[in-house]
Amino acid sequence: MVEPTDDTTASGVAPPREPLIRFAGVQKRFGEKVIYEDATLDIYPGETITILGGSGTGKSVLIKMLIGLLRADAGSIQAFGKEVTRLGEPGLLEVRTRIAMLFQSGALFDSLTVEQNIKYPLREHRWGTDKEMAARVAEVLEMVGMAGSQKLKPAQLSGGMRKRVGLARAIAIQPEVILYDEPTTGLDPINVRRINGLILSLQAKLGVTSIVVTHDMDSCFTVSDRIAMLHERRIAFVGTADETQQCDIPYVREFVRGGKGTLDQDL
Amino acid sequence: MQGLKRLLMDAGGIAILTWHTLVAFLRPPIELSPLLYQLDYSGIRSWSITALTAVFTGMVLALQFATGLESYGGSMYTGKLVALGIVRELGPTLTALLVGGRVGSGFAAELGSMVVNEQVDAIRALGADPVKKLVAPRVLACVIALPLLTMLADGVGLFGGLLITMREVGVTPKFFFTQVTDTLGVVDLVHGLGKSVFFGYFVGIIGCFVGLNTTGGTEGVGQSTTKAVVNISITVLVSNYLLTTIFVAFYG
Repeated sequence: MVEPTDDTTASGVAPPREPLIRFAGVQKRFGEKVIYEDATLDIYPGETITILGGSGTGKSVLIKMLIGLLRADAGSIQAFGKEVTRLGEPGLLEVRTRIAMLFQSGALFDSLTVEQNIKYPLREHRWGTDKEMAARVAEVLEMVGMAGSQKLKPAQLSGGMRKRVGLARAIAIQPEVILYDEPTTGLDPINVRRINGLILSLQAKLGVTSIVVTHDMDSCFTVSDRIAMLHERRIAFVGTADETQQCDIPYVREFVRGGKGTLDQDL
Repeated sequence: MQGLKRLLMDAGGIAILTWHTLVAFLRPPIELSPLLYQLDYSGIRSWSITALTAVFTGMVLALQFATGLESYGGSMYTGKLVALGIVRELGPTLTALLVGGRVGSGFAAELGSMVVNEQVDAIRALGADPVKKLVAPRVLACVIALPLLTMLADGVGLFGGLLITMREVGVTPKFFFTQVTDTLGVVDLVHGLGKSVFFGYFVGIIGCFVGLNTTGGTEGVGQSTTKAVVNISITVLVSNYLLTTIFVAFYG
């Protein structure tokens, strides 16, 4: 498959195989504000791709459209060969069992314990008996380094821990694709490293495809096979980490060199 | 013009949410434990404010009628008027306003925070339906709880009326009781409780609708809470007049 928006795919990372997920000519606006004019991007099985972009460029919107949390105004979004934009809630349900999302804040349910939070998707998808679910909870908590935290409430956890539990909840039903919405934003350096490590190890252990949305350059270069950059309401550039660093498109260069200092407007 | 447009859009949104709520609740599995939790939270825990309001309302009604009717020599009718006033109007309406303030604002705040913390998105992403999980148990709990709370308000309100009528007019409890049972028919009870079913629906659905449509972070949650109380109160008061008109046209 040839990337429509760039000429840098001859890197060997994306050999000629079928993309798992395709965005083609996606348009999205909120009221007067246009978020996407023409977003086009192919994502291949097993890769980790990072979508980079400044704050407020609608990075999260792209992945939320993929699982139908937001609807695209026009264009095509395909996942596993299905046209997501035309699916109703029952069809989306199936997509959501295969694509899990880690929300920016973790989005744990405050009123439930860690264990109940992770059991939530297991129950919805009829995972098995209570005992089997409890075993699965222990297993995924172990994977994210939060073993033994079953009985805690989200309010008792730090920001980094909440994200790790959110990740455990996301992987509980064994998704094929994991979407990470700003996984390292607002975390201290130790937790940033820990989350990056988790993204890498889940990819290695589970063989999942990962889509990471971030403006954290360090994290981006640590975890990504490929990097896609959002600029002016479209995917302006796609390439490997090396290609991104050597890219001479001014905006990409500015983003990479400026790193966090100049473009990160978030608190 | 802008206000009218927003009003119509909200009304449309509420109609759609109502339909979703019905469909979601009836789609198996029917989940009873969230409903029971909400019945406890919205219903049982509202009994004290309901009773407190009702007893003083009954007392003040009796005081007004007893003194007001005295100059016409009609104090003896105090019991009849208190009974009608409480059961047909003040019982259902005041209960709805109070529960609307207490429970409707709670729904808006809770669901609003869940929206801004992406928890509602998370419910969807995890393969569940937020309307089934959050809205259906709340609305249904209100529809069930408000008539029950209204019955409580009726009883306690009449008791308050009795106390003051005894003191001001000097009637016996038996006389007051006979007056009440002579005056009130099944029609009056159905009138009051029928309205309270609608009020329960309004409290639940408006609280949830406003909460789910929260935007703009924590500030938005505050605005939603206020908006829910205002909208519920206005809807209860306006619909009370309309429902009463319809009822009176049919049963007098």
